[in-house]
Amino acid sequence: MKRVLEGSHAVAEAVRLAKAQVISAYPITPQTHIVEILSEYCSSGKMNARFLRVESEHSALAALIGAQSSGVRTFTATSSQGLALMHELLHWAAGARLPIVMAEVNRALGPGWNIWTDQTDSLAQRDTGWIQLYCEDSQEVLDTTLQAYRLAEEVNLPVMVVLDAFFLSHTYEPVDIPDEKDVDRFLPPFTPKFQLDTANPCSFGQLVTPAFYMEMRYDIDRAMDMAIARFGDIEEEYHRLFKRRYGAVEAVQCDDADIIFVTSGTVTSTCRLVLKALRDRGEKVGILKVKLFRPSPSEEISRALGTAKKVAVIDRNCSFGAGGIFAQEVRAALCNLPGHPLVYGYIAGIGGRDVTPQLLEEIYWKTKNSDFPEKDRIWMGIQEVSHGTQRS
Amino acid sequence: MRQKALQNFVPLFMPRSYMSTEVNKTGSWRFLRPRYDEKTAPCSAACPAGEDIARIEMLATQGLFKEAWETILRENPFPAVCGRVCFHPCEGVCNRGEFDAPIAIHALERFLAETALRYDLKPDLERNPERKERIAVVGAGPAGLSAACFLNRLGYSCDVFEASPEPGGILRWGIPEYRLPLSALRSEIARIEGEGVRIVTDRRIPADFVDRAGGQYDAVFIGCGYGRTTMLRIPGEESSGVEDGLEFLNRVRKGIAPQLDGLSAVIGGGNTAVDVARSILRLGGKAVILYRRRRRDMPAFQEEVEMALEEGVELRELLAPAAIAKDRRGLLITLRPMKVIGEDESGRGRVEPAGGRIEEFRARRVFKATGAEAAEDWLNPPSRKRNVIFFDNGVLVNRTKGPAVVYGGDLTNETKSVTHAVASGKAAAIALDALFREGFAAVRSRLKSCAVGNGKSLSMEIYMGGERRLRNPHVVGFEEINTDYFHFAPRLTQPKLMKEERLGTFKEIDLKISANLAIREAERCFNCGICNRCDNCYLFCPDLAVIREKDAAGRIVNYEYCKGCGLCVVECPRNAMTLEEEER
Repeated sequence: MKRVLEGSHAVAEAVRLAKAQVISAYPITPQTHIVEILSEYCSSGKMNARFLRVESEHSALAALIGAQSSGVRTFTATSSQGLALMHELLHWAAGARLPIVMAEVNRALGPGWNIWTDQTDSLAQRDTGWIQLYCEDSQEVLDTTLQAYRLAEEVNLPVMVVLDAFFLSHTYEPVDIPDEKDVDRFLPPFTPKFQLDTANPCSFGQLVTPAFYMEMRYDIDRAMDMAIARFGDIEEEYHRLFKRRYGAVEAVQCDDADIIFVTSGTVTSTCRLVLKALRDRGEKVGILKVKLFRPSPSEEISRALGTAKKVAVIDRNCSFGAGGIFAQEVRAALCNLPGHPLVYGYIAGIGGRDVTPQLLEEIYWKTKNSDFPEKDRIWMGIQEVSHGTQRS
Repeated sequence: MRQKALQNFVPLFMPRSYMSTEVNKTGSWRFLRPRYDEKTAPCSAACPAGEDIARIEMLATQGLFKEAWETILRENPFPAVCGRVCFHPCEGVCNRGEFDAPIAIHALERFLAETALRYDLKPDLERNPERKERIAVVGAGPAGLSAACFLNRLGYSCDVFEASPEPGGILRWGIPEYRLPLSALRSEIARIEGEGVRIVTDRRIPADFVDRAGGQYDAVFIGCGYGRTTMLRIPGEESSGVEDGLEFLNRVRKGIAPQLDGLSAVIGGGNTAVDVARSILRLGGKAVILYRRRRRDMPAFQEEVEMALEEGVELRELLAPAAIAKDRRGLLITLRPMKVIGEDESGRGRVEPAGGRIEEFRARRVFKATGAEAAEDWLNPPSRKRNVIFFDNGVLVNRTKGPAVVYGGDLTNETKSVTHAVASGKAAAIALDALFREGFAAVRSRLKSCAVGNGKSLSMEIYMGGERRLRNPHVVGFEEINTDYFHFAPRLTQPKLMKEERLGTFKEIDLKISANLAIREAERCFNCGICNRCDNCYLFCPDLAVIREKDAAGRIVNYEYCKGCGLCVVECPRNAMTLEEEER
């Protein structure tokens, strides 16, 4: 059934269809719409789930760690400072191998206080052991959330479904909501591989000596590798049922492209328009949309980009002092490839600033007209500002 | 097949154990040791009768009204009286006062006494085995009746002798009915009699009683109170129309006081002066209190002064009577204005004549209420030191021949209040029991050993070996209360007769409160220092080392697993636990 939905509500519909049993969250813009509607579903009985109100995001995730350990399906959503506050427990959830699913609405971190989109919050959590999936539109948000449960539960790792603030979370689009029976076929009730059980008491997460700890970390890393393959299988099955697939990466007209944009999130949609305009003018340009950030689909990236001359990575984030985080990932994926393309890193749209077709075209021409990347990162659209920080 | 199995394999090596964590005896890590350590609430240490108030309020919140009432009775046989007339020093030191407002302890005491009366409850109190010694008590006022009541519980046979036709002393003949209705007093005295105390009324004891009592009694308690108003020592004091305040109150209680009209002057600043003035209003007259110091220096209870003024009594401060003259138009009082020249240690103003103009004041009648003294000299305790023990609220004379004598009540008490009289009776009972059982040398240390919180108040429960003896004498301070666990809540508003209803009648002013109100008020109590089984310790212990006993009567720390983190002690809202360094 098609409905016009806000991106936030697309997440909520997916969580409802996934039949999550415990939801815990703390409100933060721009995530709040997601849990707002879910709390209504819980109280009205539309969902048979417990909604736990807590006093912080730290507690929200802690509550889910407890709930998930008892073998139920769980959900939370957060943004920015909220995600930062969860940091300790992000590690715990992954280390405890709990398939928790979270919607993470990208929002800039303060100060300056800013509620608009920026990927630095989620990318800063890349080493916590969470699978991260970046979405382009509301349909993808809904589909990815359903897939996230399958993926998380198969490899026993938590999954973050990431969407841009406002451009996606608060924008209404037509969304096809799958039939509940079909979803049940795709996503049957959760069967935990381990759980807290009073009939068979055991404890989780206790002290581990150097003799064993490393193997546990090795298994998380192996499970991450496994997730890449599993994600493909899951998408395959999803496609059979619902006729939609996205891929860990999506290569758009990359085969004959000289210059390829690397994008993630909603910027991709804008870039698709630019691509069409440039192709019409005879420019050989392609797009590589990266959906799966962790585990890193480096093989897919190097395969798609390998034949191009230049790569222009658009980063709506910054690792200060090192540049865009996707650019670093792309460089890492390509570095061992003989004769690999040049990697141009562009930082754009930070803190919710619009990334317009004009800006992307400017990036294209900048890339085409320079023989070699002048810097490892170029900040796009920087204005002259007054640096009068001292008061006279 | 093998491929499929491999494909389904998820690397999932993770910390998981099916072994009980009980093998890990975390108690061995401990260097601090928490323990249950009930302490002393400031109210109970401030109560002259040493009532276990924190526990009384705890029992009240649980609806255990009989047990709460019995807990009062262990220390004070007069809850219906003291709930009304005590000046409740307990409330002045209540830790809750630093949070929002003190607990209305007196109102709860009265409520419990009334509940017991309403349901005709009989207390089940501990009694010691019978002893052979017999004791005579002179004066059936609050001190004498308390002494007899406590001695009776300690196993002694007691006879109380009272000169007037009915027991009660000042409670019966001095305190007006609007503060203490007769039914409340009579029910308490009936209960004391019911416990086995004999009261003989209309029997005035002669001065040679003690010397002649030898064969019959082993000890005599003398608690006749201050029955005579002190002289003003000014000219005209004997004029007709100048009356004794105490005698006036006595006539009011007998119901033989006449209707009064016109203006009466009351000289004095104590409770008697205020009672006289308010009784005058109720008999149709007008009253002016003349006091030589300031209002704030009056020994009368402030609440009583306030209500008197509210009812229409006039107060004139810093005026000392110099002479009274009678003429055709009535009495003319010459008043000398006074001035404050400093304060004594208690903050009471010291005054001297201000000089200047002398004031004249005309009144129909004058009531003297400047203070009282023993009615006869032999009632006063001796001043010698040999074979005599002076303790708080009493004097014990161990005569080599004849019965031992204890002087108590107003005759010995620095503060002349009903509750101090009860305290005096209790101290006398303990002193005599210690004397008979262990000898004169043991009396002082015995009295000391049952002090509440190392203060002046004594506990009969502690003396009789009750559980209260296990309490730490440390008095819990406000800073030791974990106020995170308490909400602001308004103090009980005592329902009262309207001002208009009070005049022209001696009906009791303070009305009854419901059980709902009483429980709500009792719930405000911090229960300083005592465990009310809130189970914070149990809930917060990260090692499940707090064990609830099956009958839920107590909590135990399992030291095999307690690692001494101290959470239980910090989260105890009422300081009923202590954290100490582990002995090595």
